[in-house]
Amino acid sequence: MRLHPLTSLAAAGSTAVITTAAAYLPLSLAVIAAAAGLAAWAGTFRRLLPAAAAILVPLCLSLLVLHGLFFPEGITVLGEWGPARVTSEGLSFAVQRAAQLSAAVLALLVFSFSVSVPDLVAALSAKGVHGRFAFVLASTLTLLPAITSRLERIRQAQEARGLVIRRGILARAAAFRLQAVPLVSVLVEDAATRAAALDARGFGSTGPRTSYREVPDRPWEQMLRIVLLLAAAAAVAARLLQAGT
Amino acid sequence: MSSHSLTLPSTSPAAARKRRLLEILGALAIAGTYIYLVLNQPADITGGPGSASALIALSGFLAGAILLIVAVLPALPTSTLVLIPVALVLNIVLGQFVGSTLVPFYLDAIGTVLVAVLAGPGAGAATGALSSIVWSFFNPTVLPFAAGAALIGCLAGLAARYGLFRRFYLAPVAGFVTGIIGGVVSAPVAAFVFGGTSGVATGAIVSAFRSMGDSLLAAITKQALISDPMDKAIVFTAVAVLIYALPRRASLQFPFVRRHRVLAGKAPEQGA
Amino acid sequence: MESNTVLGAGIRSFAFHEDDAPVLRDVHLSFEPGTLTAILGPSGSGKTTLGRLLAGWLPPGPGGRLQGCLSLSGTTLQFQGAADDPRINPAQWGRRVGFVPQDASAILSTVRAIVAEELAFGLENAGTDRPAMKAAVERTAVLLGLRGLLDRHPDTLSGGQLRRLAIGCAVIAEPDVLIMDEPFASLDAAGTDELTHLLGPLLRRGTAVVILSQAVEETLLAAERWMVLDGGTLTASGTPAELCASPGLLPAGIRRARINRLGTHRDFRAKLKPKPSHPAQASAPVLELRDVAFGYTDKAAKGRKARAATGGSAGDGPQQVLRGVDLELMPGEIVAVTGPNGAGKSTFLRHLNGLLRPTSGTVLVHGEDISRRPVGEVAAAVGLLFQHPRHQLFERTAAREVRFGLDRRFGGSEAAARTGAALADVGLSAHEDAHPAELPASRQRLLALATVLARRPAVLALDEPTVALDGDGLSLLDAAVRNAAAAGAAVVLVTHDVPYARSVADRLLTLDGGRLAPL
Repeated sequence: MRLHPLTSLAAAGSTAVITTAAAYLPLSLAVIAAAAGLAAWAGTFRRLLPAAAAILVPLCLSLLVLHGLFFPEGITVLGEWGPARVTSEGLSFAVQRAAQLSAAVLALLVFSFSVSVPDLVAALSAKGVHGRFAFVLASTLTLLPAITSRLERIRQAQEARGLVIRRGILARAAAFRLQAVPLVSVLVEDAATRAAALDARGFGSTGPRTSYREVPDRPWEQMLRIVLLLAAAAAVAARLLQAGT
Repeated sequence: MSSHSLTLPSTSPAAARKRRLLEILGALAIAGTYIYLVLNQPADITGGPGSASALIALSGFLAGAILLIVAVLPALPTSTLVLIPVALVLNIVLGQFVGSTLVPFYLDAIGTVLVAVLAGPGAGAATGALSSIVWSFFNPTVLPFAAGAALIGCLAGLAARYGLFRRFYLAPVAGFVTGIIGGVVSAPVAAFVFGGTSGVATGAIVSAFRSMGDSLLAAITKQALISDPMDKAIVFTAVAVLIYALPRRASLQFPFVRRHRVLAGKAPEQGA
Repeated sequence: MESNTVLGAGIRSFAFHEDDAPVLRDVHLSFEPGTLTAILGPSGSGKTTLGRLLAGWLPPGPGGRLQGCLSLSGTTLQFQGAADDPRINPAQWGRRVGFVPQDASAILSTVRAIVAEELAFGLENAGTDRPAMKAAVERTAVLLGLRGLLDRHPDTLSGGQLRRLAIGCAVIAEPDVLIMDEPFASLDAAGTDELTHLLGPLLRRGTAVVILSQAVEETLLAAERWMVLDGGTLTASGTPAELCASPGLLPAGIRRARINRLGTHRDFRAKLKPKPSHPAQASAPVLELRDVAFGYTDKAAKGRKARAATGGSAGDGPQQVLRGVDLELMPGEIVAVTGPNGAGKSTFLRHLNGLLRPTSGTVLVHGEDISRRPVGEVAAAVGLLFQHPRHQLFERTAAREVRFGLDRRFGGSEAAARTGAALADVGLSAHEDAHPAELPASRQRLLALATVLARRPAVLALDEPTVALDGDGLSLLDAAVRNAAAAGAAVVLVTHDVPYARSVADRLLTLDGGRLAPL
């Protein structure tokens, strides 16, 4: 059984919000474990892992170095090298923040790696969220992979005309300029033609729209979405009230 | 039968007023959140992670960004709208690539600035905000920076409108100033939501200021003041190079470019 | 106003913003239901601008300044080129006038995952309910032979399939008029036949079909009317028979049908090109392929879905593109390689300068193995003209484009001289300051050719050089190829245009099933 894309979006979003609001290390760790388990169950773990690592490894490293070594507010000093002071407060701040961010990031990534983009786009248009946002999302996701092959073709054409890309940062920057200019020109020109085509096919009209693709939405899913959103709002409210007192 | 007419009606002033109101609300949400965060920061930073500030930063800035999108997106002509995915792809590809290197820059706004120069501050702001939201599909950590990205787009559009892209040497200056403003506004997000920065190189700079005893927000703001102005000066220059390399016909299809004479060159025709 | 006219235009002038010279002037035309009209004109005559203007793709105002009127289904709009002109509603205009651009993929929304949804995109925007939408998609798919492809991703379609999808997107709302820009340009004989068969049902349905073309294709002989557009204005109009009878009315830039060309060029060659049967037996081969085999790895094949989908006959295994290819090329020799679409002709050509490296076998240029040399170096000896010129052009002006990299190799004065000569060779001397992207398709190809010619390479490798060229362009290409060969360069050209290949080549080879064989 497949969830409606908006249901999974609501689930991922409210998980991220609640984890951030709670700021409770065991909960963060539980969410990380649950996200990993879900991804494994859905069979997206192998694709998700490198993407998550690319984001989270530098982020967590940066946090650990930053707060582990330099935390002027820290009191319990564990070690000291010149200006660097390792404090237990700093370390625990870094670990807590890293776990909390990882949990939110993983929850959202599990969603984006499992959702069917065409279904999401169809659901967004059907739900009255402006079709334009759906267009931007879908079109970006279509263009992203295409841009690599575009760049490749431009590079080939330039090499065929005697461009030798040498090592070294300046040579690379020059080569980059040579490739970026035609890439952007072609993309902007294509966009102009596509705009005319979209307009002629009624994209700009303001009347009601329909959707060819059917995305089943069960009544209990609509209920679930409301519950999830309320839970997220409640978690935020609770945290803010606590801070206020 | 007006909906089947072969010609378009002129836009109604009521719809324009409603959009203007949403734009102002969005800008107020962003400004208000920033002021609140700066005023409250000393109490918060030692209060531990996950504090209320993170939530306020997230919700205030995101709400502002979304209001801006809702205000601007429906009013954009299709020719501008189709440019936004192109801009997003440029932002994401470059930003992802530069973020993975050890350069303390981001270069993740080239597309946003490009749209801003071609289509104006409103379109630029929407592109910046959308860029963060769509990019968060692959990298959720950029989501909280939506408001900062919108501000960059808006400022770039204003720079273009007042002719700063007509002279080649003015573009990096405009970028530098934009970078100062953008960096200062984005710093609380980095401080309160992330408790640091997401890049290794930028993290090292923050560490240096922290070792001198600065508060986290002060350290990150100083880091932003080192990285952002340079970054945006580079981005604005790159966009100037790109925009003058475009075929004239392609850039002149945008009414904003024609009306405000964004690019150097022939004087605009009467009534255009 | 004649009641029988469905679409009409009285264009006094149309100019792009910041351009002083109008692109179109004094163009008065009208189209009747159920008729086929051909608007013929050489490259740069303003055909595309006219087509886009008529179809609402280039709305007066944002697109440029129009003085004159457009009328559609009984409504006439007057334009003065002023700010208070009426603004065309492209959605309503597009429901009545369908347009298929020269680059068929430009019509696709890029946001729909399967062919059926892409077809339905226009109906979705009009708020059509789902049963009606399904019926319309089904009907259009049958009409265009897309039924088996409805669940495919549009990116995986071949060129011919993509063109049919584009036509489907344009006609699904059953417009009164269908305008097609150069629909035959990149199609081989089979694709042209397919397209011709589509026209019948559309015409019977009462659609007025307008084809913009720079070549007199066989299909167009059946048209009710031809109009000749030259230099942005209508110079002649009449039935095909009338215009064929007085050839002076058709400018030289309009290519004649493929059938004629075979005969004329053969005669031409017999008289003017008495070449020695073995051009340079004494000298060494300038280019040699020894037992070259090549197959895409899975990773590389991913980006080439379209090719994999069309390429290779069933038992062949589409991954292995070349097997045991041997070739020796002497200076001054012209070799043409033909083969069906998707046979791997472009892949073969990319081996000549090292853009693709053989999985086994060697490629030698001037007797030296190129496997260890970067492409940019091999390029000094082997000039490659790509199939799509837009990927090959990246500078701001035509002159800078040709001069790219020449200064470093030859020094300033020599570079300037070569640039001027190459531009003159392809007839673009007057356009050296034009932006390459703003040149019409035919001139873009010629400019790309000039960038190759300026380097005077020992081997000239041309990928489908005749596609999108108008009549003038074709004779320029022909002259350039023969001159290069006469000056001692070896020329390899791959093309699906067999008559042209026969007319120009010393040797004719065919690539089929990954092997090169004499035709």
